[in-house]
Amino acid sequence: MNKFVKLLTVSLGLTASAAYADYPERPINMVIPYGAGGATDISARTIAEPLGNAVGRPLVMANVTGAGGATGSVAVQNAKADGYTMLFARVGSHSVNPAMKATLPYTLDDFRFVTVYEINPAACAVAPDSGINSMDDLVAKVAEGGVTYSSSGVGSFLHIAAVMVLDSFGVENPLEQATHIPQKGGGAAATAVLNGTATFLCTNSSSIASFVANGQLKPLMVTTAEPVVGFDAPTANELGKPELNQLVGWTGIAGPAGLPDDVAAKWGDWMAEATKDAAFLEKMTSRGSVIELMDPESANEFIRGQYNKFRSLVDRLGMRIEG
Amino acid sequence: MSFYDSILAGISLVGNVDAFLSLFIGIVVGVIGGAIPGLSATMAVALTLPFTFPMQPINGILLLLGVYKGGIFGGSIPAILIKTPGTPASSATILDGYPLAEKGQAGKALGMALWASCTADVVSNLSLILFAGWLASFALNFGPPEFFALIFFSLTIIAGVSGDSLLRGTLSAVAGLILATVGLDLVYGTNRFTFGDSNLMGGLNFIAVLIGLFAIPEVIAMAWDPTGHLGKARSLGKSWVTFREYKDSFFSIIRGSIIGVILGSIPGIGAAPSAFLSYSEARRTSKNKENFGKGEIEGVAAAEAGNNGVAGATLIPLLALGVPGDVITAIIIGAFMIHGLQPGPMMFVLNVDIIYGLFIGLIVSSVMLFAVGSVAIRAFRYVADVPKRILMPAVLVLCIYGVFAVNNNMFDVGVMFAMGWLGYLMVRTRIPAAPFLIAFILGPLLEDNFRQSMLMSGGDVSVFVRGPITWAFWTFSIIALFAIYKSIRNAKTA
Amino acid sequence: MLKVLFKGLNRWLGVFTLIFSAFFAFYAIPNWVYSPSNIRNIVLSPTFWPYVLAGILAFSGVALIITKQTPSTDQDTPAPAIGGMRPYMRLVILAIIMGSTMYLLPRLGMVWTTMLTFVATAFFFGTRYPKAAVVSAILVPLILYAFFAHVAGVAIPQGNFVRLP
Repeated sequence: MNKFVKLLTVSLGLTASAAYADYPERPINMVIPYGAGGATDISARTIAEPLGNAVGRPLVMANVTGAGGATGSVAVQNAKADGYTMLFARVGSHSVNPAMKATLPYTLDDFRFVTVYEINPAACAVAPDSGINSMDDLVAKVAEGGVTYSSSGVGSFLHIAAVMVLDSFGVENPLEQATHIPQKGGGAAATAVLNGTATFLCTNSSSIASFVANGQLKPLMVTTAEPVVGFDAPTANELGKPELNQLVGWTGIAGPAGLPDDVAAKWGDWMAEATKDAAFLEKMTSRGSVIELMDPESANEFIRGQYNKFRSLVDRLGMRIEG
Repeated sequence: MSFYDSILAGISLVGNVDAFLSLFIGIVVGVIGGAIPGLSATMAVALTLPFTFPMQPINGILLLLGVYKGGIFGGSIPAILIKTPGTPASSATILDGYPLAEKGQAGKALGMALWASCTADVVSNLSLILFAGWLASFALNFGPPEFFALIFFSLTIIAGVSGDSLLRGTLSAVAGLILATVGLDLVYGTNRFTFGDSNLMGGLNFIAVLIGLFAIPEVIAMAWDPTGHLGKARSLGKSWVTFREYKDSFFSIIRGSIIGVILGSIPGIGAAPSAFLSYSEARRTSKNKENFGKGEIEGVAAAEAGNNGVAGATLIPLLALGVPGDVITAIIIGAFMIHGLQPGPMMFVLNVDIIYGLFIGLIVSSVMLFAVGSVAIRAFRYVADVPKRILMPAVLVLCIYGVFAVNNNMFDVGVMFAMGWLGYLMVRTRIPAAPFLIAFILGPLLEDNFRQSMLMSGGDVSVFVRGPITWAFWTFSIIALFAIYKSIRNAKTA
Repeated sequence: MLKVLFKGLNRWLGVFTLIFSAFFAFYAIPNWVYSPSNIRNIVLSPTFWPYVLAGILAFSGVALIITKQTPSTDQDTPAPAIGGMRPYMRLVILAIIMGSTMYLLPRLGMVWTTMLTFVATAFFFGTRYPKAAVVSAILVPLILYAFFAHVAGVAIPQGNFVRLP
């Protein structure tokens, strides 16, 4: 019992004297708001190793899934802003969801972004036997009616991507002219196009790369300015739609809004070190990701820019979910 | 490359100690992981995934497959011993496994679970090797209307697990369906019964509901009557499964394996419904019908065959199409991709050595599973000897850890407690829990596929009879409903 | 009282089910399920499926009331409890233990809380092996913690006091 009391006092003393100069003095909880094996999870677990070396403390990875990333995001939003609970933020949870859902329990202001480290080009694809060979074919088919697109759920990146692409290719009212068939998860969304349930989907190039390589899906375009390896399709710029360059997936790290400046600065340094790791770079790029490290300021700017773009599209088309 | 060349290439790939060692370690980890309630086969596979990053691709994948297969079997150990399914797929094993343990025949139940699991595993692996291409093209014909018909048919299982009153079984199922509506609406993304809570937006966690419904009522029943269990035999018992019992259940095991193979090869169904379907089929046709739910060894055999039959078959859509059939294979697909392998038709051309290496590994895995399982059963026998008034608090603590670990969310622990009280209320009013669980799994699938069908057809209901697969399942459903009607009539006149 | 309840079990359940289905259809769905105003097809509405369920619920309620209870084996009816404390009291106490566990989990951390929960339930059940109970109460949470935190890499909540390595 005596020992217990001693331990108690010692540890209380430590907590009281803790200053951010010593940060981190214990393992850091990293919340992944999506399930194991998904794009965010793989990305997070790949950076965990070099990042853990840079931090010098273990990173404890915790998948908290549900509600399109909202459950995990709220867990971090409500955590103490001491830098010991951080979030792997993703395009779906932190730019599409806030733009589309009025009842989302958080906004961008509830988080402080310390970095964005990964950009995923997006691609649109159809089944090879659909008779659609180009974006023009697709748009023509939309005018005929009966075109559907799949997504991993309402408010997902795939959802807004399809709408944004149709919108920028001049489809008058994408919500009326094409039908959205939401699926549960990105894998199911790709399967829906494979088996003919939906006509097309727009998603991260990495998640359909194997289907494209196998000839099970035919890519129509990629949203980046540069061509994507393995995707025999024109870029958005070649099609004269450079505004679609903003339609990319990303992964970043965020803390609760009150995260102290020196903690954020430390994360900036750690990320700079971690993303230099050769093994990390090799793994990520072989999966089709572009490693682009942003410091806290430019990450914030990037995310807000994408959010505003999505938000104006959502408001113009009346896509906002009020309930 | 000829068939023999392919096999030789496969053997050369797995013909080393590392490959078999990975497989063995995987099975051990899986059995232990599966045996810890809440950890579940899914979690065990997810936790093993990072360890495969630095390994050879084939070894890494064999490790994960070992965890998967071990986990599905391991789940039956706590299901039988402490009425807590270690993994969702083993919920059907409780129905007869736990009553057997109460009778002091846990050893027999565990032995049968192992025999049935390994038999089903062999059938499942053979189907994968022989029919992968054919079954995969069949599976790709499953769009939302086909799923809707299949799930409608699967819901008729409820009649088979309702116990003595079909009406109370229905009530239980509807309760499950209602609780499954909590969360965000699929089509419009609006809130349903979420009260603005981000935890509820994700829906009630399946594992929390499962453990709450089955394990916690046992703890509560202990509070109601702390001494009622005294004098009842609860050790593992000397009884071991006999070859005769295995032979008598053999037909049910094979049927369960085939059900598992078919449901496993269709993406999106998973092992739990398969186990329940196999169980209810066995119950419907068995000559020991009356004894089901009260400790019938054939029930354990059918349930375990049903869930292990899925394990090999889920690899069919994965390898042949690159489509994950359930959560576990979705994680395994991650392991393929990390190693730069792209599952799909091209893999049979480009990486045929890996494919055949996997096949050989899978065949070996059934044997290893049997060896590891036998040891595990003997190791876990001590659980049956723990005094119940210490075991129950331990179960409670174990459930708290396990349920939290599923999604790193304290809210789920609360859900588990709440479901525990609901489960206890159901025990007291003699409402069976199994229909609740089946409905909770299948309800969202039924609704989602209905709405997806309506979306793709533009509101035209004829989409539900669009092809032979739908016709087949509607016919099965009508036959099942007719059989249920007949059994009610018989019960009335009897 | 229990005997009376079980005699008309189906009838009781039926009445309760009917009341609940009415509450579900007329209060719960309109208030707690949000449905957008611009839905083209009624079957696609988020409220459609809940209304179907309310219908099935009402139907089974009616069926439970009108059908005669089939004779059944009553062997699994819980035995009337014996002992000093009234069984219902014991249920309330267990509920309090569970409630306090939920309250303490985020504050004390999972390990310390579950130790307390273990001791409380074991002694509340009146174990015949108090020493074994205390030893297990300390060991089980510690072993689980070691496994989940260090082998499985799960972030087991530590609470505000004494942190474990």
